[in-house]
Amino acid sequence: MFLAILVCKLGRFVGKLVGKGSSMPGKFALKICPDILARVRLPEHIIAVTGSNGKTSTVEMIAAILRAGGKTVVYNEEGSNQIEGVTTLVLTHATFGGKVKADVLLIESDERYAAHSFKFFHPTQFVITNLYRDQLTRNGHPEWVYDAILPAIHPDTELILNADDPLSSCFAIGRDKVKWFGLDHCSFDSEAPTGVYHDGAYCPVCKAPMEYDYVHYNHIGAYRCTKCGHARPATDYTVTAVDLDQGRLTIDDSVTIDLAFRSIYNVYNILAAYAACRECGIAPDTIAGVINNYILKNGRMQKFTLGRHHGTLLTSKHENSIAYDTNLRYIASSKADCAVLIIVDAVSRKYFTSETSWLWDIDFDLLNRDHVKRVMLYGRYANDLAERFSFTGIPQEKIDVGEDILEAAALLQDHGDEDLYVVTCFSDRDKLLDLPAVEKEA
Amino acid sequence: MDIRIFHFYPDLMSLYGSYANVAVLKRYLEALGCAVSVERVLPGQTTDLTGADFLFMGAGTERSQKAALADFLRYGEAVKTAAESGVTMLFAGTAMELLGKSITDDTGKVYDGIGLAGFTAVQGKKRFVEDVYGHTDLYPEAVVGFMNKCSVIQGVETPLLTDLALGFGNSGGKTPEGFHWKNVFASELTGPILVKNPRLLDKVAEAIYGHRGEALPEARPVDRWAEDGYAITAEQLKLRSEK
Repeated sequence: MFLAILVCKLGRFVGKLVGKGSSMPGKFALKICPDILARVRLPEHIIAVTGSNGKTSTVEMIAAILRAGGKTVVYNEEGSNQIEGVTTLVLTHATFGGKVKADVLLIESDERYAAHSFKFFHPTQFVITNLYRDQLTRNGHPEWVYDAILPAIHPDTELILNADDPLSSCFAIGRDKVKWFGLDHCSFDSEAPTGVYHDGAYCPVCKAPMEYDYVHYNHIGAYRCTKCGHARPATDYTVTAVDLDQGRLTIDDSVTIDLAFRSIYNVYNILAAYAACRECGIAPDTIAGVINNYILKNGRMQKFTLGRHHGTLLTSKHENSIAYDTNLRYIASSKADCAVLIIVDAVSRKYFTSETSWLWDIDFDLLNRDHVKRVMLYGRYANDLAERFSFTGIPQEKIDVGEDILEAAALLQDHGDEDLYVVTCFSDRDKLLDLPAVEKEA
Repeated sequence: MDIRIFHFYPDLMSLYGSYANVAVLKRYLEALGCAVSVERVLPGQTTDLTGADFLFMGAGTERSQKAALADFLRYGEAVKTAAESGVTMLFAGTAMELLGKSITDDTGKVYDGIGLAGFTAVQGKKRFVEDVYGHTDLYPEAVVGFMNKCSVIQGVETPLLTDLALGFGNSGGKTPEGFHWKNVFASELTGPILVKNPRLLDKVAEAIYGHRGEALPEARPVDRWAEDGYAITAEQLKLRSEK
């Protein structure tokens, strides 16, 4: 064990000097001692967070809250969320005797590899934010991911689950140790699922038709199966009021929080973080103090100027239609005249694919609003975007298509002063943000 | 010409933008002057397929596929009779497996297909997800698409894609893919295969016209975005296949 820890610490030290990633030291340590994670003495609380959307933001907020509550926390801030990265994280914060120097070990876990990561130890609390169509070129489909996560859940682990998601709520089946978070009926709810496809149309347990009392977005809401009884459970941690226009939410009728980013996503991420931290004994006031007007540091939203445009970049993972829908809904709810630039140049920053089926799962008709004055579709896959948009009701004269992102930036620099929203992925965002004409706000 | 399209289980079997196949075909036929109706067929509903010009079912999860199969067996004889008479149909993604003799799930449980074809599908724990670049005997241009399945299919005698330069086919890497017999088109290439492959869309429309005893008009709708998108993807995948 000593040797594995030494190698890992040295590897991490050298890796930081040369700017290498954080998974390699853990990989070496696992070769020296494959069950090293079973041998080290871990903190009292081990919180894992997984799910399709919101992992990174939720983990970041949990860490900030726990630290404000006086806990020492180690977590994988660099996002290395497979077993090698987790091993690096654990060992670099361990003594040579194998004791991890922290009150809480916090892990953002890749949903497909969670079972592998938790082979030698298990979380005390496991937050599963949701399961949506996400990166289907590597994940298959949401039920495939569900089946991959299931073996990662130890009987002693307390699950913290999203009551409003019909699929990830199934993790509670046959378990007692479950805490639920969710939203009460909200003013912006619809009566039926929204979006291009309806993953809530049929029960994930028995495949009979489902019905909804209300829907917060897409298929997330108060569902119930017409046959087997699978239904949204009562919640332990609840957003009892939310006003996205005012940017304010109330949890459990008592904790009021102002939102730095007025998105339903942010509401769910805050609530998941709140639930996890309450389960670790943090007081509601402490949590509210941290997440009131909390601005995420992970750069998912970036303000900038380009020419006379005030720009907002909304990072929307490619291959994730609900992430796109959420950001498109945000733009649709804005009031001022705006232009929207959508860039699909590389589908992924991690692997090559020309797969663009996911564009058909996105509800681009959300941009069919009077205040959306023009829609610019750019990048290598601009034609695929344009084809998808040709099936929307958005007037074609509002749409501009081109392959060259530089050309899009030049057009915006020279013309117009309306608000600008840029919707794209991590794989493509810097192709715009790093241009000399773009001035990023701190 | 009045065209009747039947879309089986549009919510249950809806992965990867499958619906776009129906949308693009409808728009194409309407541009040719057809009046096109799309009838949604839901589980449990009784639908008379008489007079159908085109049947479609898209991709679903393995569990949704079994639910679809349980209902679709009721239509087995009607679908086989329609196929025999030359009705055009497309079964995309996991829907293709319903046409065969049997589907074996990852626990070894065997489900009977409708038996329109003699092939078998065996599902496993490994998923085959990758871009596909191949050729069909139907036209000279390449076929592009994406494979996303956990099945190995054996016993297809008349594949839709006769050779693959890139990707996983019916039974392994670079093996033939899909199934084509009379006017039955089936492929496990996911998503909007008719959007991604404008020539395949031509062929499907030609089959629909042919079944009505008419030739597809010479002046066909040109979808610039789809053509340009296809060209870029085909170029990318060709380069990839030559590496």
